[in-house]
Amino acid sequence: MKRLFIVVSLLACCFSSVYAFAEASPDVWPVLKKSFFGDKVIEVSDVMRLEGPRRAESGAQVPITLSIDKPDTYKNVYLFVDANPIPLAAVYHFTALNGKAQLSTRIRMQTDSYIHAVGETADGKLFLAEIAIRAAGGCGGMVDGDDAEIRAAAGKIKLNVEAPVKFGAANPVTFLIKHPMFTGLQRDLASGGYKPAFFISKVSFNYNSKPVMQADFGVAISEDPYMRFFYLPDAPGKLEVTALDNEGKTFTHEVEVNN
Amino acid sequence: MYRLLLLKLFGILLCNALFFSTMALAEPLPVTEVASGVFVHQGVHEELTEGYHGDIANIGFVVGKKSVAVIDTGGTLAVGQRLREAVRQVTDLPITYVINTHVHPDHIYGDAAFAQDHPQFVGHFKLGDAMELRRDMYQRNNLEVLGKAFAGSEIVKPTLLVKDTLELDLGSRVLQLKAWTPAHTNTDMTVFDTTSQTLWAGDLLFIERTPAMDGDTRNWLKLIPLLKAIPAKMVIPGHGTPTMQWQQAFDREQHYFEVILGDIRASIKKGETMESTMDHAAAGEKDSWVLFSTVNRRNINLLFPQLEWE
Repeated sequence: MKRLFIVVSLLACCFSSVYAFAEASPDVWPVLKKSFFGDKVIEVSDVMRLEGPRRAESGAQVPITLSIDKPDTYKNVYLFVDANPIPLAAVYHFTALNGKAQLSTRIRMQTDSYIHAVGETADGKLFLAEIAIRAAGGCGGMVDGDDAEIRAAAGKIKLNVEAPVKFGAANPVTFLIKHPMFTGLQRDLASGGYKPAFFISKVSFNYNSKPVMQADFGVAISEDPYMRFFYLPDAPGKLEVTALDNEGKTFTHEVEVNN
Repeated sequence: MYRLLLLKLFGILLCNALFFSTMALAEPLPVTEVASGVFVHQGVHEELTEGYHGDIANIGFVVGKKSVAVIDTGGTLAVGQRLREAVRQVTDLPITYVINTHVHPDHIYGDAAFAQDHPQFVGHFKLGDAMELRRDMYQRNNLEVLGKAFAGSEIVKPTLLVKDTLELDLGSRVLQLKAWTPAHTNTDMTVFDTTSQTLWAGDLLFIERTPAMDGDTRNWLKLIPLLKAIPAKMVIPGHGTPTMQWQQAFDREQHYFEVILGDIRASIKKGETMESTMDHAAAGEKDSWVLFSTVNRRNINLLFPQLEWE
């Protein structure tokens, strides 16, 4: 009997190792691709790259960096987390005033997944970059704390430009906005249902009133959204940001750029 | 008649098979009596990802004159069943309390093994809600990693909540329970056995294993002096070896927190990114802890976005 038990445990071990090596599935992308871009051809791009951890330490705040060799190559860049319940994480709109098209953000990941970036040129051609990341539990996670307090704190902005600034060159800027980014998939124990989605949906950055960068966010962007990107100042001036949430509230902030 | 006999024989065989298989499953967990009437099973130091078997936390029980309190139950139903067998090897007294020191899956998923004893399930006043909010994620993650070894493991919500403090009498033996403000998690509770002056610290104290963060580390730092003021002779950490030199163990934990918080704050001040900070913050602590490289990176990943708002 003891021997039988050992055999059974060995079998159980084999079984569990099958589960343990579940990984990012390549099967989701063809379906996503079809639903977002129809039958259009998407070429693998050599000017666009994605970087992220092979295994995310926390599914709630996974750092991702997108780099494109030239800032005005693509009109739009779509970022997808294939295995998330709502896969479209963000759409980025770079301009020549970025100086350098490199952008870092933090995303939520429900489980192991491929990340896809699709760049769209002005004439509608599509290009692709992809990476796989192992992760768990970033979407339906717990929300602790008082809703009224969370809402009252939402919208506070930090915009940090690196000093000294180099005029006529690409300079990094870090943007942070306090916001719970409720996914719509988090349980609400008071009502017995789910907390309605509540998130920053759009951010726009202008330098001396000229558009530098715009982004549309989905709920795969982590709580307290973070973006590090570049801007190209020609002279001293003002960098301004306007953020909009899905309930129609706007939040603004500006920073003086001197020497 | 012959048929009936055959049926009976089959029945006996089946009973035997069932009997032996439950026997095999419920082999008692090895426990150590660290103080008179205080029994601990020490979990092994492994991650909650690949290679996790559900037996990484310190779990155990305290035996009074009239009844038994179980403190944490392990990461699977099977571990809980084996802990129950360990209790039964020591005493036949009824198990009247099953106490969860916090919501983490390596401490609570053996609870269901004690349902048959109809105990009070005791926890921090936020434990029930925390269990509910994390239920789906825990079920999914544990099933993925443990597979069949997770079979039958389920969440059992507390029936007795601790708002601040609570005393439980096991018969000439009083346990003092204390619910803390958010630190390791938002559901941390300690159990102090007044008879032997043994403190079950739960995961408010890590020994050997790198302290894992899932709550409010800045507040955890503030609680350490209060924990150190408890008149304990012996402390059982949530992970690691129970010890009489527990004051130094809290000092080591405090040191790690001060280093990691200090390094992250310095990085933020310099405008460094989270990604690069994850490669070096608290790196000097590496040789002082087990499972350091993964747990420390996760801690930085959690702390950095919080500290950016200071």
